[in-house]
Amino acid sequence: MSVISVSNLSKYYQVHEKEPGLLGSVKSLFYRRYYDVKAVDDISFEVEEGELVGFIGPNGAGKTTTLKCLSGLLYPTNGKVSVLGFTPYKREYKFLKQISLVMGQKNQLWWDLPAIDSFILNKEIYDIEDKQFNQTLEDLSLLLDIKDILQIQVKKLSLGQRMKCELIAALIHTPKVLFLDEPTIGLDVVMQKKLRDFIKQYNQKYKATILLTSHYMRDVEQLCKRIIVIDKGKILYDGLLSDIVKRYSRYKLLSVELSEQVDRKDLEKLGEIKEYNFPTVTISVVREKSSNIAAKLLENFPVEDINIEDPQIEDIIRRVFSTKANI
Amino acid sequence: MSISKYLKVWSIMTFYTAQIALQSRFGAVMFIIGKLLRFSFFLFFLLILGFKTKAIAGYSLWQMIFFFATFNLIDTLAQFFLREVYRFRTYVVNGFLDFILTKPFPPLLRSLFGGSDILDVPLIFISIAFVIIAASHIGQITLFGILIYNLLIFNAFFIALAFHIFVLSVGVLTTEIDNTLFLYRDLTQMGRIPVDVYQEPLRGLITFFIPVGIMITFPAKALMGALSLEGIFISFLIGGLLFYFSLKLWHFALKHYASVSS
Amino acid sequence: MKKYFLVAKNTWDEMLTYRLNFTMWRLRGIISLVSIYFLWLAVIPNNGSVFGYNRSLILTYILGSSLVNSIIVSSRSYIIGDEINQGNLSNFLIRPINYLMYWFAKDLGDKAMNILFSIFELLILFLILRPPFFLQTNISYLIPFFISIFLALFLNFFFNLLLGFIGFWSPEVWAPRFIFFMIESFLAGAYFPLDILPKPIFAVFQLLPFGYSLYFPLKVYLGQLSLTQIYFGLLISIVWVFGLLLIAQFVWTKGLKVYTAWGK
Repeated sequence: MSVISVSNLSKYYQVHEKEPGLLGSVKSLFYRRYYDVKAVDDISFEVEEGELVGFIGPNGAGKTTTLKCLSGLLYPTNGKVSVLGFTPYKREYKFLKQISLVMGQKNQLWWDLPAIDSFILNKEIYDIEDKQFNQTLEDLSLLLDIKDILQIQVKKLSLGQRMKCELIAALIHTPKVLFLDEPTIGLDVVMQKKLRDFIKQYNQKYKATILLTSHYMRDVEQLCKRIIVIDKGKILYDGLLSDIVKRYSRYKLLSVELSEQVDRKDLEKLGEIKEYNFPTVTISVVREKSSNIAAKLLENFPVEDINIEDPQIEDIIRRVFSTKANI
Repeated sequence: MSISKYLKVWSIMTFYTAQIALQSRFGAVMFIIGKLLRFSFFLFFLLILGFKTKAIAGYSLWQMIFFFATFNLIDTLAQFFLREVYRFRTYVVNGFLDFILTKPFPPLLRSLFGGSDILDVPLIFISIAFVIIAASHIGQITLFGILIYNLLIFNAFFIALAFHIFVLSVGVLTTEIDNTLFLYRDLTQMGRIPVDVYQEPLRGLITFFIPVGIMITFPAKALMGALSLEGIFISFLIGGLLFYFSLKLWHFALKHYASVSS
Repeated sequence: MKKYFLVAKNTWDEMLTYRLNFTMWRLRGIISLVSIYFLWLAVIPNNGSVFGYNRSLILTYILGSSLVNSIIVSSRSYIIGDEINQGNLSNFLIRPINYLMYWFAKDLGDKAMNILFSIFELLILFLILRPPFFLQTNISYLIPFFISIFLALFLNFFFNLLLGFIGFWSPEVWAPRFIFFMIESFLAGAYFPLDILPKPIFAVFQLLPFGYSLYFPLKVYLGQLSLTQIYFGLLISIVWVFGLLLIAQFVWTKGLKVYTAWGK
């Protein structure tokens, strides 16, 4: 049985048109024209235990709304949602004790107190035994390497340290299902990598099912085997990350290092030049012909080094959005 | 979920809020002094009036003080226990409410009682002291009167609770908290003096519709033996109804909660 | 001067954006006004008088204090303390604008709106309550009345500035303000005319600046003071205004030194 099962989920927000001016606002007291904003529009998917699934899509695509429906924050307009066999929006404590929600831009820690105080409060709220609490805290702070900052006021921590503490607060009850909404936002590259490693370790160690949204494609690329691409409330793609690369990248990138300057026009005959910055040049070529053209390059140009790469995942996703084809 | 767990969580949060409040000792002392000054100024005002006039709207000076002390008792109790409501707007706006909602702890209890304000404690004791002193000067107090007084104070607290739940619900739906909250505070301030002082139709309005009268004047009158049985009955009825409807509204609000987007 | 006029005008426009907040704020004022009004109505018998005030005088005093309050209130500059604390002051120091004038202009824009609302509210209250109202027609009372309000306006502005300047030395800008205005509204005579107090207390209050923002102007309006008393009162007002101006200037320069030393 799947841990998460979503069928035909829709979430509409009712918005009323606001007419400008004083007269308009008086009028809107009595009469309002409403229209629906379809944040999520009839989506279905299943997630198995222990999966780490990435949600991808532009701002306002419906990623966060979906996570919020799954965690019970929002009451769905239509459709059925089941997480661990529960209906999320009923917010039964048995359900809430097994999930957690981490939002990169929101804090649950008490700002003016040391992080450990927030953990202790969560211990009571989640009915965690002393022994288990100490064990989990020990494990998590070891994984995140933050033992020494637990006694410092949260407001005095750096953004990265704070995010680590946020994660501990969210995971102290070892949830089976974890919703991560932009967990790495605003962090520097080193810290992003640390958090990614941690998420992966947590996923493996606790057999947790994790749903993740992120702006940083690198997060998704390195963490998730499976991705769900969503735009304007609809699912555009649901499947393996590796498949989407094959399917959508009809092109490959040849990145070449030249030993001397060559005429740009000569290179353009081979394919589309993405970047020419001597000594490196990047050429986009049709997938099937890539080895052929590589051979030609080696033959006819002063090449030091050559690499055949798949295009960046960002480019592929962009292509998914621009073709808008349903798969 | 047991009562003892609620109490434990409440005491932890109150302990934390107290710590935060005391982080700035100067501010804490100033606020306590401010609250005491506000109390003494109005008391002083009443005393001046009382010395020159024999009776205000038919009430003696000690009776006026008793009304005022009762107002302070209810007002401060509500402020002490429900201080968290004043922080609720921040929670809605910065998304902390999402965390409250996804925790296995009743979100309404968390939002109402999460963190009582110890800075109100001195005034609670002073109010109780004044209630007792003023009552002892009024005389002719029956045991029944004291019982009804206490029950009606309890009822008043439930009405205050209903108001705060109403404020929270509106907050969930519109993120508007501060204005409704302060409107409530100003309206209850009208109860510093017995509602009999106001003329109709204002008196009727603030007795039953915005039940300042039921909250403050009625309990005090009950102690003086000046409240009819119907008055007592209506008090509990309105208290119960308001509480019931506020809960309904809260559930409605949660169902329509839109959650701020990131 | 034109820039300060624009600041005032923008403040006025800003209020229209926050009209819900503003209306609620006014409504709260009305509620406490009505509360005190009825208390006094109950205290003073129909044809009698208490403390030398009959109904029409005291009710005029209470309603009038609401209008005077809307004129003297510095409803914008209260934010100065926070601005200093958060370092926003720097944005002003690097621009060719006088910070204090800027806030004074903002206060003026705000006042204009407040006064308009206050007049409107009082009209409604008059229509509903039909209070016995004392209308002063004697110009020799009205002129000092307006002068005293004008002085009161500056008194309150300087109080506000000084309270805000606490921000130079301490992050605790709200608690002192909370206490100050509680004391001020009491000592200014918002609850009752100060002369009902025992003589020795009243004599001390007469030398303090607070009474000159509400009590004194209204007392002049009611025509209950002799010319000597009026001149004496205006003189004390003026002394306080200039005294506070000097203190404010002194504290401002001192504070700026501290501020720039921190390099916020």
